[in-house]
Amino acid sequence: MNIISQKRVNKWLDKRIPAANEFHLDHRNIFIFPAKFGALYLLLCMLLFLLGTNYQNNLMLLLCYFLLALFLVNLLSSYVNFTRLAVCMGKVPEIYAGDDATLNLWVNADKALKTPMHGIVNLSFMGHKVSNWFDCDGFTNPIALNYRSTVRGWQQLERITFSSYYPLGLFKCWTHLAFNTKVLIFPKPLPCQIDLVDTPHVNDETSAAQHSVNKSSNSHDDFSHLKAYQIGEPLRHVAWKQVAKGRGMLSKEFSGSEHLSGWLVLNKPTLSQVENALSKLCFQVLELSRTNQQFGLELGYTRILPNSGESHRIACLSALAQYPTTSNNAGTH
Amino acid sequence: MSALQKLLFWRSGSLKKSPLQDRQHQTNNPAFIICSVVLLLFDLSLIDTVIGWISLLVVCSVVIRFAIYFAYQKHIPSLRTLNLLALLSILGLVYSALPLGFLLGMVNLLVLACALKLMQVRTQRDYYQLVVSLMFLLGCGFIFKQSIVFTLLYSLLTLAVLLSLAFFHAPKLRFKLQLQHISLLCVQALPIGLLLFLLLPQLPPLWQTPKAKSAESGLAEKITPGDIAKLSQSSELAFRATFETRAPAPQERYWRAIVMENFDGKSWQVHPTRKQTRRFQQLTQQEFSPVLTDSYIDYDIIAEPTQQHWLFALDIAVPRTTKGQAEIWQSDDFQLISHQPLVGQYQYALRSYINALDKQTLSDLDRQLNLSIPQYGNPRTQQWVEELRQQNLLDKDFINALLKHFKEQNFTYTLRPKPMFVDPVDSFLFEQQAGFCSHYASALAYSLRLGGIPARLVTGYQGGELMAKAKQQQYLSIYQYDAHAWVEAWLPELGWQRLDPTALVAPDRINFGLRQAMLEEGSFLADSPFALARLTNIALFNELRLMLADVDYNWSRWVLGFDNQKQQDLFKAIIGKLSPQRLAVLGLVIVAIIALLLTLFFIPHWYVNRLNPAHRIYQHALQLIAKVGLQRASWQGPQEFNHFVQSQLPETCWAPFNTLTSHYMQLNYQARQSQNDLSHKKRLKAMCRQLKLLKKQLNKHAVNET
Repeated sequence: MNIISQKRVNKWLDKRIPAANEFHLDHRNIFIFPAKFGALYLLLCMLLFLLGTNYQNNLMLLLCYFLLALFLVNLLSSYVNFTRLAVCMGKVPEIYAGDDATLNLWVNADKALKTPMHGIVNLSFMGHKVSNWFDCDGFTNPIALNYRSTVRGWQQLERITFSSYYPLGLFKCWTHLAFNTKVLIFPKPLPCQIDLVDTPHVNDETSAAQHSVNKSSNSHDDFSHLKAYQIGEPLRHVAWKQVAKGRGMLSKEFSGSEHLSGWLVLNKPTLSQVENALSKLCFQVLELSRTNQQFGLELGYTRILPNSGESHRIACLSALAQYPTTSNNAGTH
Repeated sequence: MSALQKLLFWRSGSLKKSPLQDRQHQTNNPAFIICSVVLLLFDLSLIDTVIGWISLLVVCSVVIRFAIYFAYQKHIPSLRTLNLLALLSILGLVYSALPLGFLLGMVNLLVLACALKLMQVRTQRDYYQLVVSLMFLLGCGFIFKQSIVFTLLYSLLTLAVLLSLAFFHAPKLRFKLQLQHISLLCVQALPIGLLLFLLLPQLPPLWQTPKAKSAESGLAEKITPGDIAKLSQSSELAFRATFETRAPAPQERYWRAIVMENFDGKSWQVHPTRKQTRRFQQLTQQEFSPVLTDSYIDYDIIAEPTQQHWLFALDIAVPRTTKGQAEIWQSDDFQLISHQPLVGQYQYALRSYINALDKQTLSDLDRQLNLSIPQYGNPRTQQWVEELRQQNLLDKDFINALLKHFKEQNFTYTLRPKPMFVDPVDSFLFEQQAGFCSHYASALAYSLRLGGIPARLVTGYQGGELMAKAKQQQYLSIYQYDAHAWVEAWLPELGWQRLDPTALVAPDRINFGLRQAMLEEGSFLADSPFALARLTNIALFNELRLMLADVDYNWSRWVLGFDNQKQQDLFKAIIGKLSPQRLAVLGLVIVAIIALLLTLFFIPHWYVNRLNPAHRIYQHALQLIAKVGLQRASWQGPQEFNHFVQSQLPETCWAPFNTLTSHYMQLNYQARQSQNDLSHKKRLKAMCRQLKLLKKQLNKHAVNET
């Protein structure tokens, strides 16, 4: 029952506030309703009215009517304030399943408004507790919103709820915005041994074991020497200890890490082991990329030729993330 | 008890630390400081109503809030401490507020609750409860204080509470802007509130209101000669009377209030038998109706709160309106008595029959009460009256002889009579021969009774300051120092007669008021040297005093005294006749006006270009240039686009755009402080000029091209 009504609400919302990259709030996507405090306030007005009538006290009645009028005026003013909000979604960072990641939201980024928005704005995913907030009178873009997904693969972001109580807390203005951004969640990395195979076409497990180049997880950082850091080199190669000692930006050079190459293979796991195996592969991809090694990836019918570098890493991770559903995405056959 | 504790702390166990914002709000949000200041000022304004130790608690909580705000102290007192404090406070409150009655108890409870809440505000919920209780308190403040000054104070405090709410929801906004926004909201809400006030029906009280038990003021129901002298030191307003026609002459302004028929040799008081019969009559809803004559005067009275029941009227008076008839009760001794004590200002309309006093009859009970004399005391007076009565057998002669005594002996009128403890009438008549109106009245009434003439003491006010302006109705302000006492005696052939021995001794008192009468003695308001009423001989001060009195009068009459009657008059003035259809139309019109007002307030927001002016002008310029075929690409910054324009257009065209762009960049990207060369406004003006120039040049350019 609850789920059905929830679905209905979602359907209605999809019609009313379709997904977009950027939102400027207006009457189509703003909801407004008296907050709990608003109800308390009305109760106060009623009490004042009763007391004022019973004591035949005009000043009390005046106060009561003034507060009521303020309630009306506040309805419009809080709405007007909220219409000044404009939001767009920033670049989505790499997100691994089960990790706490942050989404970046840009608020009123390129709009020089004559009358800016005021007050605190609360952020949350629709139907969840308020997880973050920012003060319109002093914030720096982007606004971070905590995001967590336990499932890998393509995920549609839930609607994000923005709410504001400015100026008097009598009304809650809110909106549920859906962004066009789809998020690809990578598998959760699971520490394991690096298991590189020479050739991907090995059907027989024993031979694969013979040809595998077994490398212990610490053998890849065979540190050879330090050299001056050059722009473009990965930041993780920087010798931060040296930086801290004030010797400037130096980067670590590793011996023998570049000329080695091999394949990471997903070995026909059983259904229950798929996630585990993918997680392990994910860890290996990250490790190998960290040490800048060349490697290829074979996942069933998907194969990514040995390569190195940032785009290769992303391609591999994406392939892992999409494993059961994808066959023609980023790989070659 | 636990219910009380809940009331104080609502959710004393609320440790639920939910949204992050609570922590942010707490540390140094001005909202709490504003709330504490409001509570403190409210407490000060009602310092005589709020119990001492509660005020102390208020001060404590304010100090705690300030300490936290200025970071002298890091932590709010723990919940356990506060709960203990609350429990103790409740015990204290039960002990000290129970005898005060419901209203004062409630106000004290609320102040206490606010103080404790202020100490422990942790969550948003706590804060909202604090704000609502504060607002309710401010509303209650109007029960006790209704003058303009206090109304202003409470309005400001209400504004401050709203300001605090705004700070709670936007902690980082600057104070000035915050104040601007809230004031704007208030200014917008005010006309709507006023409309509602003027046009929503004024209902009668829904149920019997609990009474405030506070000190009664003004006249007392028992008088010992000399008491009124104390009252005469007060320049407080007693009541005001607005006359439909001309106000009566000063010597006719005898405002009856209390009739005293019981004399014990020393003091006069309302007779216990009278009180009993009065209670009985009120219960059985019997009312005395006096004999009326044709000549009368109509007037309205606005009485200041006395916490008592009796009202003021000239001679024999009856209420003029149905509302008055329901609320006012007439007693056998022609006193007007209100069913409700005068807690706040009370307005009533009367019709006085000036010559009706002597037409009233004397019942047996009246005769009995008005002839009773104490068995002992004042032997010299008794002897003197006996002799005098033997010489004057006719009542009239006897009265004249008595009055002659006052006139011919060397009596003086003074506000500083010597105390007379034993046989006060003897001492006054034959030794001191100096006293205040109550001495004279008391002595005369006693002597009349000794001589077998029914007589009684009446207290009230005599005189009043006439305030008359060209366009306005005449009204009298009667102050406490106008308090007076005189005698009413009954003669078989003449009926009730008003006798005022003071008029014989000090005619100035009656004709020109107390100030004039006390000129020589210098004792007028001697105890309050700075009272404006003392400074009447300085023209400026007098004018100021009269102006203030006038403002206050209009405030009382039109704001505090706005009632059902006045509302109906207003309706009649607007729509002519009061028929249901017309009232319905009026209601619709009001709703329409309110809707219109709301629309008016917010039209600017819908129509105004929401971009800032610099941005708007720049966009305009971009549109102009786009017409010539140069579109700014999304990756082009203003500077880059400027270079692009320079390469594409002749100098006459790009020069204005260049300056415009540089101004735009200065305004948008440069920090405020470094704008020392040109002010913000000047730059905007320059941009406008350049825009016009650009438009002209581009038009020329387009013509040349074709």
